[in-house]
Amino acid sequence: MIRARNWVLGTMLPPAVFFALVVLLWQLATSVWKLPTYLVPTPLEVFEAGQEHFADLLAATRLTGAGALAGFALALVFGTATGLLFAQSRIIERSLYPYAIFLQTVPIVAIAPVIVMWFGHGFSGVVAVSFILSLFPIITNATAGLTTIDANLLELFEVYDAGALAVLWKLRLPNAVGYLVTGAKISCGLSVIGAIVGEISAGFGSQSFGLGYVITAATGKLDTAYAFAAILCSTLLSLAIFTAVTLLGNWILARWHVSGPRRATVKP
Amino acid sequence: MNSNRFAWIANLTAILFAVSLAGCGKSPAPAAKVSHAGADHHAQVADEEEQADPTLTAVTLQLNWFPEAEHGGYFAALVHGYYREAGLNVRILPGGADTPVVQQVAGRAVTFGIINADKILFGRAAQAPVVAVMAPLQVSPRCLIVHKSSGIKDFDDLKNMTLAMSNVDAFANYLRYKLPLPGVKIVPYAGNVAQFLIDKHYAQQGYVFSEPFVARKKGGDPKVLMVSDMGFNPYTSVLITHDDQLEEHASIVRKMVAASVRGWEKYLEEPQQANERIHKMNPEMDLDVLAYGAETLKPLVMDQVAEQRGVGIMTRARWQALSDQLVESKQLKPAQADIAGAFTNRFLRPEERDASRPQTKRE
Repeated sequence: MIRARNWVLGTMLPPAVFFALVVLLWQLATSVWKLPTYLVPTPLEVFEAGQEHFADLLAATRLTGAGALAGFALALVFGTATGLLFAQSRIIERSLYPYAIFLQTVPIVAIAPVIVMWFGHGFSGVVAVSFILSLFPIITNATAGLTTIDANLLELFEVYDAGALAVLWKLRLPNAVGYLVTGAKISCGLSVIGAIVGEISAGFGSQSFGLGYVITAATGKLDTAYAFAAILCSTLLSLAIFTAVTLLGNWILARWHVSGPRRATVKP
Repeated sequence: MNSNRFAWIANLTAILFAVSLAGCGKSPAPAAKVSHAGADHHAQVADEEEQADPTLTAVTLQLNWFPEAEHGGYFAALVHGYYREAGLNVRILPGGADTPVVQQVAGRAVTFGIINADKILFGRAAQAPVVAVMAPLQVSPRCLIVHKSSGIKDFDDLKNMTLAMSNVDAFANYLRYKLPLPGVKIVPYAGNVAQFLIDKHYAQQGYVFSEPFVARKKGGDPKVLMVSDMGFNPYTSVLITHDDQLEEHASIVRKMVAASVRGWEKYLEEPQQANERIHKMNPEMDLDVLAYGAETLKPLVMDQVAEQRGVGIMTRARWQALSDQLVESKQLKPAQADIAGAFTNRFLRPEERDASRPQTKRE
């Protein structure tokens, strides 16, 4: 009980107080300087817009979330597979790595319309853009985790005459877990950005729409309050996905990796 | 002054909007953006000659899109020297995808802007003090194009197809609200007719003076459905300014309106020079498209009302109808819908227009 209360006081309270302070200052600033709505909505207006469009925002967040998660899952699978491929030989890594960097450096906004032409409008196009944006951190981290191995350990495995599969399974993969969790934390936020950018170019069809649509449509008619509410939703969505990935990562690390957070149960 | 203090916020917002929304469905291919950057250079070269005269009042005019036939009259006023004769040094700033014209005018980052009537009502609903002072296009050029072979005669025939349409513009939301559109998949408008040409079950938005011509030129067989025939007909390419300008700088607004009206009258008769300037600023727009555009614009500018009362006139009934439609299609809340102060014809009255023409002798 006490520990729970301490946790609430110590972890939850400071950011909550800060949030309340920011909202208060924001409200004060808009009323003191009489800032017009088309520039900045008041927190109250944002709240009202959120309340008024609650059902729409919820549906849009769900759709964008589905697109982002699908892109992120694909990136995890393909990124890890690519890392495995790169870990097989220096030549493969050297000849393909520049193209992996290409994925990272290409301006996604510029090529999104092209990607949509290839993968079609609607959900598939959104997932494709989200996938491309979130792929690179997984590739680099997987590759680094699979290849940066303590030379002594490699020699040890050699001494015991371990085959390539055993080295991969017992040495390289466990070593890569920590890297992969880091990569996943970076790319899960990118997957939401990718889904929103994808939606702007790909759309979702005539009846359903995601947050990217809401944001462009609302800013298009200067409805800043609704736009802010939608932006807040996309931030909360990113936060939710990031929290889930972090918790899952901690759990995996605690089980399978030396670097995981230890519980104070092991006594010397 | 309040609005000056906010000018930097308006600029920042403008930049943020432009950055965050670049690549929206409406934007053309990246190539168009490159040429747009080049266009700025041309504009500056052209303007430097005119800036030499210190007796002229410098004003800026922000376009809502890359220079096109829809801006023709303003370019005619520029190239034929009507602005200069009126004592104005007008610098026309090309727009692009999602240029925040209303925000820039409301924040006084520019003196005048070009925008469609629906955006003016949205802007005023969001406390942006902008007002329409002249509306050259009485009939909205907004249209959909479908394949002739599809047998579609009317909006009600749109079914089981792909429809490429902006997800932001008021007309699109109105169509979506009004039509049943069974089996129609609405996708963002890509800014060209490429998909239309390869897909027989594809319809898309356009401006009547541009997309149909381009599609035909490239071997397509488009049929045009005018959105105005559905009754949704906002004034287009409207000249707007800040509310405070009406009192503080009435003479500048009067000169600007009069010279722009002259420009539009000229453009309908003799568009070549204006089109050349447009082509120079936006090389994507070929001269033959622009020539077709100027021809197609004539009935849109000179409808019955304009024939009787002159180019640029606006009526309360039309503004009210637009406001009602935006409320009906749930784009504006009833409490926000107010056309009072959204437009004024006071700078258009013939006697004032004549008085501001330098070559007309005053009695």
